[in-house]
Amino acid sequence: MSSADLAPRLAAYAARRMPAATGVEVRDLSRISGGASRQTYRFRLTWTEDGAPRERRMILRRDPPVSLIDTERRVEFEAYRAFFGSKVPVPEMIWLEEGTEALDLPFSVAAEITGYEAAPALLWTEAYLAAHETLARNKWSILGEIARADPFALGLDRVMPPPEPEGCWVRELDMWETVLDADEAEPLPIARAAIRWLRANPPPPAQRIGVVHGDFRTGNFLYDRQGDIHGVLDWEMAHLGDPLEDLGWSLNPVWNFKRDLAGGLVPDGVAIGYWEAASGLRADPAAVHWWTLFNCVKGQAIWISSARAWIDGGNREPIMVLPAWGMQNPQDRAILKVMGHL
Amino acid sequence: MKPDIPAVLAELAGLVARNAAPDLDPAERAGALSLSAALLGMAAEAWDGAAQRLVEENRALRALLADAGDYTGPDAALAGAEDSDLTISVLSAANARLRAGLIALQADVEAEDSPEARALESRIWQELRLSTDRRRMSSALA
Repeated sequence: MSSADLAPRLAAYAARRMPAATGVEVRDLSRISGGASRQTYRFRLTWTEDGAPRERRMILRRDPPVSLIDTERRVEFEAYRAFFGSKVPVPEMIWLEEGTEALDLPFSVAAEITGYEAAPALLWTEAYLAAHETLARNKWSILGEIARADPFALGLDRVMPPPEPEGCWVRELDMWETVLDADEAEPLPIARAAIRWLRANPPPPAQRIGVVHGDFRTGNFLYDRQGDIHGVLDWEMAHLGDPLEDLGWSLNPVWNFKRDLAGGLVPDGVAIGYWEAASGLRADPAAVHWWTLFNCVKGQAIWISSARAWIDGGNREPIMVLPAWGMQNPQDRAILKVMGHL
Repeated sequence: MKPDIPAVLAELAGLVARNAAPDLDPAERAGALSLSAALLGMAAEAWDGAAQRLVEENRALRALLADAGDYTGPDAALAGAEDSDLTISVLSAANARLRAGLIALQADVEAEDSPEARALESRIWQELRLSTDRRRMSSALA
């Protein structure tokens, strides 16, 4: 569906959700590049209410027929909603539509957070270099706040099944190994060796069951030149589990952006220190190592499943090829590094 | 590289042609073309060395499987073959069979407790490291 076709249908949907509004229009609807798991658009919604003209900038995220990450939209929506207004900055969720009548595919609408950057590459330009330390402190402190949150008090256990503390690791490893089994287009000896090691050397039980963002890394949050973070995005892989899982994902070497620093920003130990201070949890080195290696396997599963979606013809967008070609070998090298073989 | 380069190039040809239409949203066109450019760059980088990489790796894997002797088991037949057809698709298919054999060999070796097994395991890790060296691209994302 083109943007020209989408805009009036979205406006009609918004009008139905806003009974007090008249003259509802969608303006300047344009697709945002990237977003392999959702089709993402920004737009201005304009309307009249109580005799006054109104306007709000919004983001539409629409499920593609086949995405890089198969997730449930409600889980993502509820995760955003749970953290809105907390120390974890997230955009306000406005509407969730799980039916297909309005726009042919399920979608959600959120308030747009404007004026900040998400692209990792900008961080190594002159204007941002001085902010690395502050950004790193904010990044891992926010991740610690996610780990500190009580998912049961937030009501997230209604949409995210909680595992037992001793079963977190096996549930996640089983799930991602199943993805590898189903989607690999060629044998993956390095990932398979890592899986055997992970099963033979399980981590200790989770200290507590927490919210796991699932994709917390540079590139999935909005930042400014001072190193402040204004929005944590991309919650589509959120689930309940061992909070160390998120820490391990953030330490996956593929997110170092070719620098030998966590997130390309600070040494791993510094990042872990920020996380421990904010979360109130201990990052046992052996457990962090297990979860970092696990996340390397998870990353590989994601990259090869994007290749599978393209090969099978379900999604022929070029964004599906980019991680398959550009990340698979770096992810293998990350596994080798974490396992001490590089 | 998966998906295969020729299939991706064919798809990109169609995508570029569609983006030549005058009535497209400029933001959508920019996104599609910038991604296409990145993929074309990767394909260009991989193109010249693709056959060399596969021949070199297949040769190394066959030598490793041959030296594994008793450990190789049902994969022993893989060790004796050689690459006579140098088309990328045939070399890739042979590479996939050899790497599947390597996975089986490594799992068997890990279960053995002997100096010979450890020496073989060390050689396997060395080959796996070299396999990532062969696949390195300056245009990789990480």
